[in-house]
Amino acid sequence: MTAQNQLRRVARYGMSIDIDKCNGCGACMMACAVENNIPPAPEAANDRRGVTWIRVYKVDNHRAYPERRTAFVPVLCQQCGHDTPCVHVCPQQAVDVDPQTGIVGQMPERCLGCRYCMVACPYHARYFNWWDPKWPAGMEKTLNPDVAPRMRGVVEKCNFCHGRWHAAQQKAAAAGQTEIDAADYVPACVEACPTGALRFGDLNDSSTEVAQDAQRPESFRLLEKIGTEPKIHYRSRRDWVREIASAPRPEGRDGLRG
Amino acid sequence: MTTTRRNLLKFVGGGAAGALLTPAPWRLITDTALWSENWPGIPRPGHGEIRARFTHCTLCPAGCAVRARCVNGQPVSLAGVKPHPISHGALCPWGIAGHHLPYHPARVRQGPVKEALAAVARAISQRGAGERVAVLDLRPGRTVSWTYRRAMAAIDNGLYLAPRQPDYSIDLNAARTVVSFGAPLFDGWGTPGNVFAARANFRLVQIEPVETRTAALADVWLPIRPGTETTMAAALAGETTIAEAARVTGVDEQAIGAVKEAIASGPAVVLAADPASPLMSLNAKLHAVGHTVVARRESPLPEAWKKAAPATEMAAAPDRAIRVLLIDESLPGGYVPWQEIQPKLAANAVVVVFSSSSEGYGRHAQCVLPAPVYPEAAEDVGPAIDTVAAVFRIAAPLVAPVVPVVNPGELVARIAGLPQTDPLRERADAIHKAGCGTLLSYADGKSTPLKAVTADDFWKTLNQGGCWMDDSGKKAAPGKLEFPAAGAQPHDDLPLTVVAAEPRHSGLESPLMSKLERESNLRMTANALAISPADARSNGIENGGRCVLETACGRLIVVATIDPGVPAGVVEVAGGPRMADLCGASQRARVVRA
Repeated sequence: MTAQNQLRRVARYGMSIDIDKCNGCGACMMACAVENNIPPAPEAANDRRGVTWIRVYKVDNHRAYPERRTAFVPVLCQQCGHDTPCVHVCPQQAVDVDPQTGIVGQMPERCLGCRYCMVACPYHARYFNWWDPKWPAGMEKTLNPDVAPRMRGVVEKCNFCHGRWHAAQQKAAAAGQTEIDAADYVPACVEACPTGALRFGDLNDSSTEVAQDAQRPESFRLLEKIGTEPKIHYRSRRDWVREIASAPRPEGRDGLRG
Repeated sequence: MTTTRRNLLKFVGGGAAGALLTPAPWRLITDTALWSENWPGIPRPGHGEIRARFTHCTLCPAGCAVRARCVNGQPVSLAGVKPHPISHGALCPWGIAGHHLPYHPARVRQGPVKEALAAVARAISQRGAGERVAVLDLRPGRTVSWTYRRAMAAIDNGLYLAPRQPDYSIDLNAARTVVSFGAPLFDGWGTPGNVFAARANFRLVQIEPVETRTAALADVWLPIRPGTETTMAAALAGETTIAEAARVTGVDEQAIGAVKEAIASGPAVVLAADPASPLMSLNAKLHAVGHTVVARRESPLPEAWKKAAPATEMAAAPDRAIRVLLIDESLPGGYVPWQEIQPKLAANAVVVVFSSSSEGYGRHAQCVLPAPVYPEAAEDVGPAIDTVAAVFRIAAPLVAPVVPVVNPGELVARIAGLPQTDPLRERADAIHKAGCGTLLSYADGKSTPLKAVTADDFWKTLNQGGCWMDDSGKKAAPGKLEFPAAGAQPHDDLPLTVVAAEPRHSGLESPLMSKLERESNLRMTANALAISPADARSNGIENGGRCVLETACGRLIVVATIDPGVPAGVVEVAGGPRMADLCGASQRARVVRA
C-alpha cells in the first residue's frame, strides 16, 4: 500500500449547514432522537435539562419590529479537530477522537457523569441524562437496535450516527471494498432535512459538496477564533447571522424564545 | 521490628494515600454512579430480520411516501422515498416519528361500541320529521369519504358534512412569483418536498404581520398591519392606489410597487392561509387561472359510487336539526370549531366520535370510539393542494392495531346498510379499468404504464409501496375562485388579532415532539401564546406566566411568552383542538392576567 493510499483512507467527516435554507421545522431533531434512541422528556425537563443531540436555535438580529429578522441555527457537536476541549478534560477517557474519521466519540459506559466536558464544551452541545430513560409502554419496540440506550448519570452527544458508519463499513467489507460508498453513510439529521440545508461528507475529499461548501466566502464556523477547528461549517449570506458565530456563546434567553 | 500502634497507623495511612494514586478510587466513583441507577426496566430494542417497507403518511393531506426500516416486522424509523416525483424524499417532524403513535400513552384504548351503536340505532328510529343523520368528515377526498357520502345517500335525511375543500390545485412549478397572504408555505402547506423542490424557481413574497418560519425564508417579507390584507390585494389588482394601500397597510409604497411589477412580469400565483379565502379571487384578476391555479383532478371512481350525498358545509346545515352526528376524527385534518357545530344539533342529539384522542371532539361527544392511528389503518390519501396530477396512493398498515379499534368507514356503512366490501380495492379496480396514467413502484423506482399492469399486480404494488399518477391532458381551469368573506367582528373589547404560529394538528403526536417544544423552545407547546412587550406591559402579563386568552368563543388559561418579534396588536397562538375551538371562529382576542 502506498503512502498516498494510506492518506486517502483517513477521512475527516464534517457537515455544512446552509442557514438561509433552514426553516426550523425540527425534522433533524426528531430524526436524531429516533435514530439514537433518545427518550421523550420527563415532565420536569426543560430546554436546559432536555437531551437533543442536535438543537435548532431560533436567533434574531436584536432589532425591533418590523426590522427584526430571525434565523434558525442547528447546533450539534462541532466535532472539534484541534485541541478538542471535551477530550482534554475527561478524567475517564470517555471521550476520544477517532483518527480514521475525525469523529469525536463518547463512551457512556466509561462516563463518570462529572460533566467537566459539558463545562469545557464551548458550543453547549453535550447533554446530561438527568433521568432514567423511559419510553411509554410499548414504544420500546420502536427503538433502533443498532444504538444502545444510555443510562441516567452520563453525558451524551452527537457522534455523526456512528452506527451508520459501522453499517457502511460492513457493507463495503462484504463487497470486498476498502472504502465506503459516500451514499451509504449519511447521518439521520442530514437524511431527514426536507430543505437540503444540511450536507455531510469527507472534508478531506475536495470533490465532496461539503468540502466545497467549506471554502465558500459566506462560510463560517462557530467561535472560530478559539482555535478548536470545528468540522461543522455554516453559511449564510446575511451579515448579522455570520456575526452571531463570533459571539462568546449562543445568546442567552433574551435572544431565544422561551 | 516490633509492631507498634504508631507503625500500624503509618501503614494504614500510607496505604490510603497510596491507593489514591491508583485507579481504584476513581473506578469506585464510577461504579457508585452506576450502582445508584434506579432504572425500572432496561429497554431492549428488538432484533430480527431487517427489511424496508413502504407506505404513505396519513398525518396530513400531503400523503408523503414513506420508507420504513422494520426490524422483525416492527418499524423502527421512517424516512422519505427519494425518487418520489411529488414528495421528493421529504418528511416533516410529525411524519418522521409517526410510528410512535400506536403506543401513545394518551391514546383512546377502549370505547362503548355496542352502547354507541344501540344509541345511534335508537336515535335514527325515533327521530322526528326533518331531523338529520350526519357524518362530519374532517379529511374529505379519501375513498372512505365516498363511503360516507354513499351511506348518507342511503339514509333518509342523511347529511354529509365536511370542511370546505377547494376544487383547485396550485402548480408551484409553473409559478415564477408566489404572493402568499400568510400561507405557511414552508411550514405545513401542501407537500413539503414538492414546495422545497420548486423553491429555486420562484420568488416568494410573504405578506403577513408576524415573521413566521415562511416569512423568515421568503425573498421579501411585507409586515402588514393585521386585518388589512384585502386592501393590499386590491392594490395588487389595481383596484386601489398604491399610496392608499401603503397608508392602510403600513407597508412601504416602493415595496408594494415592486410586488406589483413582479406579478406582472411573469406567471404568478396568490396563496392565502385559508384556501377558501376571498383573497384567492385575486388569481382570476392576475390571469393565473388555468396556468398556476388549475382544476383539482380526482382519480376515477366506480360508477355505482356516483349516487352519493353532496358535501355540505357545517354553516349550511339547518339549525337544531342533526339528531345523530358521527364525527370521523381518526386522521388529523380540518377542525370545525365546536361553536359552529353546537347550534346545528337537535336537543337530544347523539354525537359519536371516532378518534384516537379524547382531546378533540371527544370532549363534547357522548361516545368516543377508538379508531386506528397511522400506521395501523389502510387508507388512501387524496391529492394535496399542490398536486396537479390525479393520484391514488394507499397507506398500507405497517403494524396491526395495538388496541381494539373500530373502523369508522365500516361502521358507518353498516349503520346505513351498505354491502360490506373493500372500497379501496373497488376504487383501484375502477382506476385500472380507466387504464390511464402510470404506476410508480418505490422498491425499484420503476414507472410502468398502467395498461401494462394487471389489476391484481396493480393492487399488490399499491399495497407494497406504489403510487398511481396521471398528469396527462391539458390543465383545466377550476370553478370560480369566489369565496364569501367572513363577517366583520366587533373590535372594541377584543383588541388583538389572532395569528396561528403552528400547524393546528388535532390528533396525537409522538411523545418525542417534546424535543421541539419543551426541550428546545423551537415550537410553541399547545395552550401557549406569544405577545408583544407593549401588549404584555399594558395587560400585566409576565414572560412565562399564566394568562387568560379570551375570544368571542370562550376563554382558556395559557402560558404567555413575551416576544419582541410579535407586533403590538397581535397575539400568536399555538395549535391544538382547544386553541382551534377558541380561535377557529374568531380572529379577535384579548389577553388578561390570570
